[in-house]
Amino acid sequence: MKLLEYEAKRVFAEYGIPVPNGVVIRAPEEVAAHLPDLGDGLVLKAQVDVGGRGKAGGVLMADRTTAAGTARELFSREIKGIPVREILAEERLPIEHEYYVSIAIDRSSRQPVVLFADAGGVEIENMASADESAVRRVIVSPLLKDIPPFLMRELLGGAPKELAPVINNLYHVFQGKDAMLAEINPLVTTARGVYAADAKLIVDDNALARQGVTVNRDLSEREREAEKHGFSYVELDGSIGVIGNGAGLTMSTLDLIEFYHGRAANFLDVGGGAEQERVMHAVKLVASMPGVNVIVVNLLGGITRCDEVAKGIIAAGVAPTIIVRMAGTNEEEGQRLLAECGYRMLESMDAAVKAAMEVSE
Amino acid sequence: MIYGDKNLGVIVQNITGRQGTFHTELMNAYAHEVGGRGVVAGVAPGKAGREVHGVPVYNTVKDALAEHDATASVVFVPAGAAGDAVMEAAHAGIELAVVITEHIPVHDAMKAIAYAKLHDCTVIGPNCPGLLSPGECKLGIMPAHLATRGEVGVVSRSGTLTYEVVDELTRAGIGQSTVVGIGGDPVIGQTFVDALARFEDDPQTKAVVVIGEVGGNLEEEGVRSTDLPVVTYIAGVSAPPEKRMGHAGAIIEGGEGDARSKVRRLRGLDIPVASRPSEIPGLIREVL
Repeated sequence: MKLLEYEAKRVFAEYGIPVPNGVVIRAPEEVAAHLPDLGDGLVLKAQVDVGGRGKAGGVLMADRTTAAGTARELFSREIKGIPVREILAEERLPIEHEYYVSIAIDRSSRQPVVLFADAGGVEIENMASADESAVRRVIVSPLLKDIPPFLMRELLGGAPKELAPVINNLYHVFQGKDAMLAEINPLVTTARGVYAADAKLIVDDNALARQGVTVNRDLSEREREAEKHGFSYVELDGSIGVIGNGAGLTMSTLDLIEFYHGRAANFLDVGGGAEQERVMHAVKLVASMPGVNVIVVNLLGGITRCDEVAKGIIAAGVAPTIIVRMAGTNEEEGQRLLAECGYRMLESMDAAVKAAMEVSE
Repeated sequence: MIYGDKNLGVIVQNITGRQGTFHTELMNAYAHEVGGRGVVAGVAPGKAGREVHGVPVYNTVKDALAEHDATASVVFVPAGAAGDAVMEAAHAGIELAVVITEHIPVHDAMKAIAYAKLHDCTVIGPNCPGLLSPGECKLGIMPAHLATRGEVGVVSRSGTLTYEVVDELTRAGIGQSTVVGIGGDPVIGQTFVDALARFEDDPQTKAVVVIGEVGGNLEEEGVRSTDLPVVTYIAGVSAPPEKRMGHAGAIIEGGEGDARSKVRRLRGLDIPVASRPSEIPGLIREVL
C-alpha cells in the first residue's frame, strides 16, 4: 500500500530523518493559522497518489500574502484526474543541492538495493537512461541492521558525508516499516542541514496487519469485498467475466481471451481447494459487474472437487451465461449436475474461451 | 531429476495443520507408489508424541532430525511464522526447504533466504507448489496424476498453470524429468537461473519449459544463463500496469516487468515463446 507524502514524512520524522516544517490542510482558509510557523516562502503540495505530480500542476509556490488564494486554486484542480482533498503546506527550504536516494527490493539478489544519485528532483528512470554512471547502487544484506560504512562510502562517492546518517535512517524505515520502496527525491542540503524534501513509502501488502493497517486503500470496494472471501481480484474494462484458480492459470485465461480478440472484465483467483460456498460468492461477485454477459470458469487441480464447483455455480443462479472448464476429482458428477441445469462444460481452456467469445458477440 | 530422488528423507513443518496433514498423506501415497522414502517425520511445536497418518510428530526440527535421517523439509507454517520456520530448518541441518506458504512478508522471506544460504540450505519458494520428479519423489502439493516420467524439465512461477502445462505435455506424450514451482513472490529462494543450472547438470533433462509471468526480469536472466534448449511461456500479456495479479510478485512496476516486453526480449534471443499453453508441446518437439 502506498502512503501519501505527508504520511511518509511523519514516519521519516519518527526515524530521525529531518523533514520541512509543514501542515496538512483540507480547506484554503486553514493555511492562515499556520503561516507563522511556515516562514515567508511556502510550497503547497497536493496529496494525491500520482507519479509526476509536479509536472501535472500538483505543486505550487506561494508566499504569506498569496497562500490562501494559491491553496484555493490547488483545491480546485484535478491532478491526473484525481481531485485534491488534502494539501501539504510546507516552508520553502533554502536548497543548496538536490540528491536522490531510494531503497527497494532487488529480486535478482533477493536483498535490499540502495540507489543514490548526485542529482535529485527528476524521475530516476530518466536519469538512469540518460547517464548510467550517475546512479550508484549497492546491495545490503537483509541480516544487517545498518548499511555498513564501506558500502555507504561506495554509495556516496564524493557527496557530503552528512547525508550518510539520513540514508542509514531511511534503511531503518525500510526495515522497520516492511517497505517495498522507501524513497527521498529530492534529498536536499541546506545551510541548516539535510532534509527530505519529498517522501515516498510503499508498505508490503503482506505485512499490513503487523504494521497496524486495517484497510488497504489501494483497493476498490469490490476488490476489498473479494479480499474478504480470500479471492485475488482485479477489475478490468471488458465484458467477459473470468474465474480461475491460481494466479498463473487465471492470468493465462485472460491472455487467451485477448488472443481471440476479446476483452476480459476482471481477474478473479478463487484460491486453492474451492468449495461450493466460495465458488458461489465468486460467481455472484463477477456477475455483479456492469456489462458482464458471460463468465468463463477455469479450474484445474488435483484437489478441486468438480461436483462442489458445479453446486456453487448452480447455487449462485446468476443471469450471465457461464462456460465451465474444470478438471479434478468427481469430474463426471460435476458435468452431470451442470448439464441438468443447462450449463456448458468444456474440456480445454481454449474451447471454453472460444465458446465464451461466441456468447459475448 | 533435480533436487533429490526416491531416497530423499523428508520432514513436514506444521504437519498438524489442515494442509500439512492432507498433503503428508498424498506425499506418502506417492512415495509408496514409487518405492521412495517420503515423509519420515513431522514438526509442530508443542505437539510431540502425536502421529499424523502414521508419521511421528516432534516439537522442533532438531528433535526430528535426532531420530530420523532427513535432509529436506516441506514448510506449511502460517505466513507470520514461516520465515522463522525456514531458519529453524536451516539451522538444524536441513539442506532443502520447500516453502508452500503464501503471504509471507517479503522482509521475512529476504532474511530467511539469506540465513538459509549461510547454512548451505537451498530454499524453494515461498508461495510455491513444490516439486515433482515423476517416478522419484514429490515434495509439496502438485497433483501427481497429471505427470509422467520423461526428458523435459518444467520450471514455473505458478501453480495451477504449471499443472495445465504438465497436463498438455503428458497428453502429447512428452514426459517430465522434474517439475518445479519456484513461487509467485517477489523474493524467492531458487530463481530460474538456479533451477536451470541444476537441469543443465541433470543427464535426464534434454530441454526445459520456462513458465514466467509479469513482474521482474528473472525469466530473461534464467534463459540467458543456460545452454539447454528452452521453450518459454509468459502469463499476463493482458495484465494492466500497477495491479497485482494474484501473486505478490506479479505486478508491472514503474513500467518494468510487463509480459509483452519480456516476450519481445526472449524472441530477440531466438527463444521460442508460446502464445498460449496449448502451443508448448509443439514447440518442445521442435527443440528436442
